[in-house]
Amino acid sequence: MNTGQRTNGTDTRPPPWRDVRVLRITVQVAFLAGVAALLWLLANNLVQNMQAQGMRTDFGFLGQAAGFPLAGADFSSRDSIWAALVVGLRNTLVVSAWGIVLATVLGVFVGIARLSSNWLVRKCAAAYVEALRNIPLIVFLLFLYLAILQQLPRINDAIDGGGFVFSNRGLYAPWFDVDDDSGLFLGFCAVAIVLSIVVVRWRTRRFNATGQPHHRIVWGAVTFGVVVGVAWLALGQPVSVTLPVLDGRTVSGGYELTVEHGALLLGLVLYMAAFVAEIVRGSILAVPKGQAEAANALGLSGAQRYRHVVLPQALRIAIPPAGNEFINLAKNSALGIAIAFPELLRVTRIAIGQGQPAPQLIGIMMLMYLAISLTLSLIVNVLNRRLGLRGV
Amino acid sequence: MRRRTLLLPVLIPPILMLAACTGGDDGGADDPGLPDDDLVEDIDAGPADDDENATDETPTDGTLAQVRSRGVLNCGINGQVPGFGFVTPEGTYEGFDVEFCQVVAAAVLGDADAVEYIELTAEARLTALQAREIDVLIRNTTWTALRDGAENVSFATTTFYDGQGMMVRTDDGFSSIADMQDTVVCTLSGTTTELNLESAFSAHGVDYEPLTFEDNDTLREAFLTDRCDGWTSDKSQLAAFKAEWPTDEGGPDALVVLDETMSKEPLSPATLDGDVEWFDTVNWAVIATIQAWEFGIDSTNVDEFLAVDPEENPDVARFLGIDDFNPGLGLDADFAVDILQQVGNYQEIYERTVGPDTALGLEPELNNLWTEGGLLYAPPYR
Amino acid sequence: MSEIKVHSSEYRPPPPDRPPSGTRSPGVWVRQNLFNTWYNSLFTLILVPAIGYVVYRAIRFVLVTARWEIVEVNLTNLMVGTFPRSELWRPWAAVAILALVIGLGLGVTARANVEAARIRGIELTTSWQQNARRAAPALLLVAALVTFVRTATPLILLAATVVLAVAGYLVGRRIPPHRRRWMHLAVITGLLGSYVVVTQFDGVSLDRWGGLMLTVFLAIGGIAMAFPVGVLIALGRRSTLPAIRLVSVVYIELIRGMPLIALLFMGWLILPFMLPVGFPTPGRTWRVVIILLLFTAAYVAEIVRGGLQSIPRGQYEAAQALGLPPWKTMRLIILPQALRNVIPAMVGQFISLFKDTSLVLIVGLTDLLAVARRVTQQPEFLGQGLHAETLLFVSFIYWVGSYWMSRESQRLETRLGLGER
Repeated sequence: MNTGQRTNGTDTRPPPWRDVRVLRITVQVAFLAGVAALLWLLANNLVQNMQAQGMRTDFGFLGQAAGFPLAGADFSSRDSIWAALVVGLRNTLVVSAWGIVLATVLGVFVGIARLSSNWLVRKCAAAYVEALRNIPLIVFLLFLYLAILQQLPRINDAIDGGGFVFSNRGLYAPWFDVDDDSGLFLGFCAVAIVLSIVVVRWRTRRFNATGQPHHRIVWGAVTFGVVVGVAWLALGQPVSVTLPVLDGRTVSGGYELTVEHGALLLGLVLYMAAFVAEIVRGSILAVPKGQAEAANALGLSGAQRYRHVVLPQALRIAIPPAGNEFINLAKNSALGIAIAFPELLRVTRIAIGQGQPAPQLIGIMMLMYLAISLTLSLIVNVLNRRLGLRGV
Repeated sequence: MRRRTLLLPVLIPPILMLAACTGGDDGGADDPGLPDDDLVEDIDAGPADDDENATDETPTDGTLAQVRSRGVLNCGINGQVPGFGFVTPEGTYEGFDVEFCQVVAAAVLGDADAVEYIELTAEARLTALQAREIDVLIRNTTWTALRDGAENVSFATTTFYDGQGMMVRTDDGFSSIADMQDTVVCTLSGTTTELNLESAFSAHGVDYEPLTFEDNDTLREAFLTDRCDGWTSDKSQLAAFKAEWPTDEGGPDALVVLDETMSKEPLSPATLDGDVEWFDTVNWAVIATIQAWEFGIDSTNVDEFLAVDPEENPDVARFLGIDDFNPGLGLDADFAVDILQQVGNYQEIYERTVGPDTALGLEPELNNLWTEGGLLYAPPYR
Repeated sequence: MSEIKVHSSEYRPPPPDRPPSGTRSPGVWVRQNLFNTWYNSLFTLILVPAIGYVVYRAIRFVLVTARWEIVEVNLTNLMVGTFPRSELWRPWAAVAILALVIGLGLGVTARANVEAARIRGIELTTSWQQNARRAAPALLLVAALVTFVRTATPLILLAATVVLAVAGYLVGRRIPPHRRRWMHLAVITGLLGSYVVVTQFDGVSLDRWGGLMLTVFLAIGGIAMAFPVGVLIALGRRSTLPAIRLVSVVYIELIRGMPLIALLFMGWLILPFMLPVGFPTPGRTWRVVIILLLFTAAYVAEIVRGGLQSIPRGQYEAAQALGLPPWKTMRLIILPQALRNVIPAMVGQFISLFKDTSLVLIVGLTDLLAVARRVTQQPEFLGQGLHAETLLFVSFIYWVGSYWMSRESQRLETRLGLGER
């Protein structure tokens, strides 16, 4: 260090080119400028290239009629391209939401099975996890779609019974038929849910205060049932059940789960459950052994021990890694493109194939995926903050 | 000692990285440019070809110069349509479109084998052209105004006149689209057929459920397992798939292509707008195959025709470059000879790949000479 | 978002307690492990016939009903795709070089291990059973491939490759410690050489590679190139300069928030337009490699960050006390330790990349999976429902590769004593 100057006490600051603060700012400004310049260059190239190719660089095309049809959606080719993208986004969200719920349920079961005291159960669960974790999801999806689901009975030999119709075109199940008052009815349903939550909380508080049996599930269910039932009758039965009817080669009525949709959902659930199972198993093992031993000492049965002592603690440990897997599941739903399911990526690709500009469409698609991932991670973070271990 | 032991695995990733980066640089340099040998060859070949110093030109110059300096034609094709473009177990490409890639390569480079085939999906084909990934697209692509206009593509002389049809199972008893109420119809996404399908069904006021696929492989599998009732595509493609229908499923007779033609589908080679020289080259390479058919010249007799007397048969002599007639297309005077010797004329290509004697068994119909009631008509070569 | 980035390897549980074996009779074992409670008895009674049925069907399928001709006929296609058949000697030469180098590396490592153990006063003995169990997946794969080979040439070449690998191993074991640093050079040369021998000297451009060859190239090339970039981003994320930290975080979050397949689309359809006007477009395969690199780098960065965070502060302080400048501290003290700690996680990332390369099917590259899809459309196999055969074959290759690597990485983890610190 240059201490000579410091001795006379007039100027304690080093020259700018040796001043750490100045240097830090300079370096950061230069770095940011470099990054900005790179991004600008790429964007500028993109625009220039697009203009050179006569491609449009605005977003006006989103309002144009799509022209192409989409399978299994209330979408006509006269609807706009933006509407097509929304259909894709909706399909992605629906398949991801169901996938997350079902994969969690299955994953918890398999994870617990991996720790079963029954050797055979343990080994079966391990075989399931190891078999799926080590192959690519797309291979599994194609296998499921081409080698299993497409080989199901054809429509001419469809299985029809018990209100279900089942063939290699899809699964048709009983479903609700709605009329004009259904919007109001759905509103009442929402009110019913809120009310039952309030009731459950009240029962819980009461239990905590008095120690009397709470029966909060029963209370909540009854509240929900009463409100919904009254609303249903009052609105003149706005919702009824329809059964699918097989007529020759066509099926009408009921809910249609196309084989493509089913294959994607089933594939995602089975595959991701293997990853969730590993997390569940790890989390259960990470609960200190003393906890289970203490539960034993209290005389809790095996199931009670899991239900009241081990799983609640394992859940807190499992939230962050499981959240990662949920985000992965939502991102993996893009593989529906390989089996003709019109999710977001596929709709984008169809639109590009029909001559719409790729850069804008891909940009929109990426923003949508980003929004899904960030929302999910936000939810997981909130959950983790509320339920998770402090200080981990 | 222990430290070093542990270091070995630690060092493997950086080593891999170094290796790959260096490898990457090699490849990067190799990709746009050429291996030295080719360069040398080109310098040798340049003066002999009497072509304007291909090696001096920068890559931003015309496609023709780029192709010549590269020594290889990048041709975008379909790899999934029997008869038009498919992969054999030996790993080579064959088919109608593939042979036209060879025609262009023979005309431009004098070597029908100097083709790099690039398989493209329906969605990616025009992008690949716009990104200059391919020089020419010969992949059953319909000539439409939108593609010609907004998508900046130029279509050369049509190689195959096609129309969109609908294929159904014979057992289902559909005789026209009007019968197909509440059916599932499979088609390929990113194609004109996808759009025509919608208009054809709404014109008949018939409800249907569309099911669009990314590739023909999956589509065919779905149709095979009765996932859909109808399959709509260009009639030539439908015929191709029908011809190969497995005997387990009843063979070709189990299927029927409905008589209705939903649209006109002139399938043409495409180049990028703004390079007229290259467009002319491709265009005339295609025209030459038709012209040769008109003259009755094919791969078996072209050598006899080379001995023709320019006085007696000036048209043929001009066409074969015997009298060094050069129309300034950027092609060698004898480019037609290269095409004919190495590939053949239109009729040969057609009959070899999709004609009545092949598995596809397509009658020429529109794809016949204008003198025979078809639409093939070559502008005069003079 | 940062809280949830806990790498799964941290959750790998300790090995379950094993009861001492060999001391009890089979009857006791069955009673204790299969029929210890009423519900376990029930599970066992349900599972035994179910497993029996599944195993019977699986074996029957593999050995009797499956029609493996499609794999036999197309084995070359599956291995190299549309790679020109006249140039097949090139991949073989590359495989030979790689075999030699891998053998050499294993030999050197084995000797180093023995020496290291001896210094600590342990005689390192590995039984052949142990080694056999470790090599079993690889042997299984080779055996499966061999059963599909119909001509003699590949068998001879395969045998020659194995001989080369063994020779390399034996040579590696003889290399004295002071010569060992040359090994790194040998490994680099080997890897480079295997690439050069295929692409250079009138070789075959990357865009004509296909099948397993392409899959392996994408996985190794992707991880190897992503590694240095990932380390840089990780350092950027740990930087004391907020701007650099911000850019690194944004990059990581952006990449991790999007599906790889969407990024591949970008590389396929938009990347060519982002280059300067007139700049030659890189080939399709290189574009995919670039995207794999950008994608993997974000994940590698997170892994390396975990490694950096695991280094105690005392290490930095000790380096400062020695008067090392920051970059030397990083290079000589922190990074070597951090990278050592993340080896298992890196292997995990490599496995994941190996599996993810199958997505390039969607953007039109003919990797292993794409070839498997395509061969079912050949006239002689069309419409015979042979997807089970081809997809099982492909799954088997992926499975053996991933499973083997994850096993080895667990071994490595134990050996490095990670998770015990």
